[in-house]
Amino acid sequence: MEAAIARYLEPRIPGAAGLNVSNLFRIPGGASRETWMFDASWSAGGETVTANFILRKDPPASLVESDREVEYTFYDAFAESAVPVPRMRWLEQDESHLNGAFFIMERILGCDSSPRRIQEPDYAEARPMLARQLYEIAAAIHTFDWRQSGIARLIDAPAPETCWSREVAYWEDMIDRNELTPQPIARAAIRWLKRNPPPPAQRVSVVHGDYRVGNFLYTKEGIKGIVDWEMAHLGDPLEDLAWSFMELWRVGTPLMGGIVQRDEAIRTWEAASGLKADREALHWWDVFSGVKAQGIWVTGAKAFDSGKTQEPILAYTSWGLINRQDEILLHSMGRDA
Amino acid sequence: MTPDAPKVLGALAGALGVQVLPEVKTPFAQQTVGLSATLLVLLAQDYDRAAAVLAEENLAVRALLARASTLVSADQRARISTLDDRAPNADLRISALTRENSELRRLLIDVHAAVEGLPGAEARALDESIWQELRSSTARRHVEGVIG
Repeated sequence: MEAAIARYLEPRIPGAAGLNVSNLFRIPGGASRETWMFDASWSAGGETVTANFILRKDPPASLVESDREVEYTFYDAFAESAVPVPRMRWLEQDESHLNGAFFIMERILGCDSSPRRIQEPDYAEARPMLARQLYEIAAAIHTFDWRQSGIARLIDAPAPETCWSREVAYWEDMIDRNELTPQPIARAAIRWLKRNPPPPAQRVSVVHGDYRVGNFLYTKEGIKGIVDWEMAHLGDPLEDLAWSFMELWRVGTPLMGGIVQRDEAIRTWEAASGLKADREALHWWDVFSGVKAQGIWVTGAKAFDSGKTQEPILAYTSWGLINRQDEILLHSMGRDA
Repeated sequence: MTPDAPKVLGALAGALGVQVLPEVKTPFAQQTVGLSATLLVLLAQDYDRAAAVLAEENLAVRALLARASTLVSADQRARISTLDDRAPNADLRISALTRENSELRRLLIDVHAAVEGLPGAEARALDESIWQELRSSTARRHVEGVIG
């Protein structure tokens, strides 16, 4: 694979000669694509140049079904904005280069990303600052003027009053197509969501789609990059807020993402965005988050069951997460006791 | 066969976590080994109880459907009757019990949706019983060791 990447890159970097790829490793991360890190070095104008990259490549099967051009476009739209993202370099739809479509972005060095790492004692002092930044950046995403970016060209925007119904329809269809066994709790939740729609979105915003601890790069000095945009879309910003609060991400603590009180996160987001997190609407999105997560887990389980992939993380969705998600759904609907 | 499957699976998980994982050098391979060990722990918990869980649940859902048969539409009543006419599965393989379970829970979803829209105390009581069964179903399937 190193040689194939080198063959791809060299003609795309002006003046580069003798390009060499090293330290190629697959790394954890991303629900829908294989993620690889590598270093590249080449000669240009008599100098040796080195650079560090991340490559995201379509796998045989995945947890979610997403379009690589959409993911690339969302990353690219936030370049040089208040939302820190890695710089995007190349999007390649031709599958012949690496046996699958892919994109390459620059690698942000020296960061942690794990939800567990941020819990460790040496992060105790930095955690409140990281939590505040997380919801300030969420506000920046949700108030971003996407109409002036490439996103507007690629993505159909819902009307404010259809943000909720479009998402419910999408994830219900995902469960319809992929459940291996009937899901009576998720089905009851979907009926509840349809009977009790939230108010129209305050604004149609960029929604990251998987905004949570684990999907940003951080150091003790701050958040350096928001990553994993494969489920990004346009919709109601409360969707991201509720998703980031989901019980599954709390790593055994009472705190959202293991790092912040719910009310404090809401206050930070409201102050930074000028938007309001209506508590009833947010509760609707809490329940929706459980349905969406169940859609992801049943899709992963089916991918494993079908034999398209044998990655343990996809079997884990079935054995570890589907019933846990049902427990969370019961809790969010007030049906757990 | 002894040692029984949970013991063997638990030992394999321990070997992966304690002996193999520290030797693995790349982050993705570390994640793969760690998740494999976790999966073995989850499988070990389900091995002994799996048939009992499905058999108990199938009986519970059959009882709910029988209660619903006087409340629901003629079409749903016919579907319940068809399932009632079949004796509970004598085949105790997990795959057979799972097929029966799926058939019963698929019908329970439809019946639950119908009962939610019905007026009257009997419908409300049945709705609450269905929720109770859904709570019980997650308790039956609960496994320790899930991240989050």
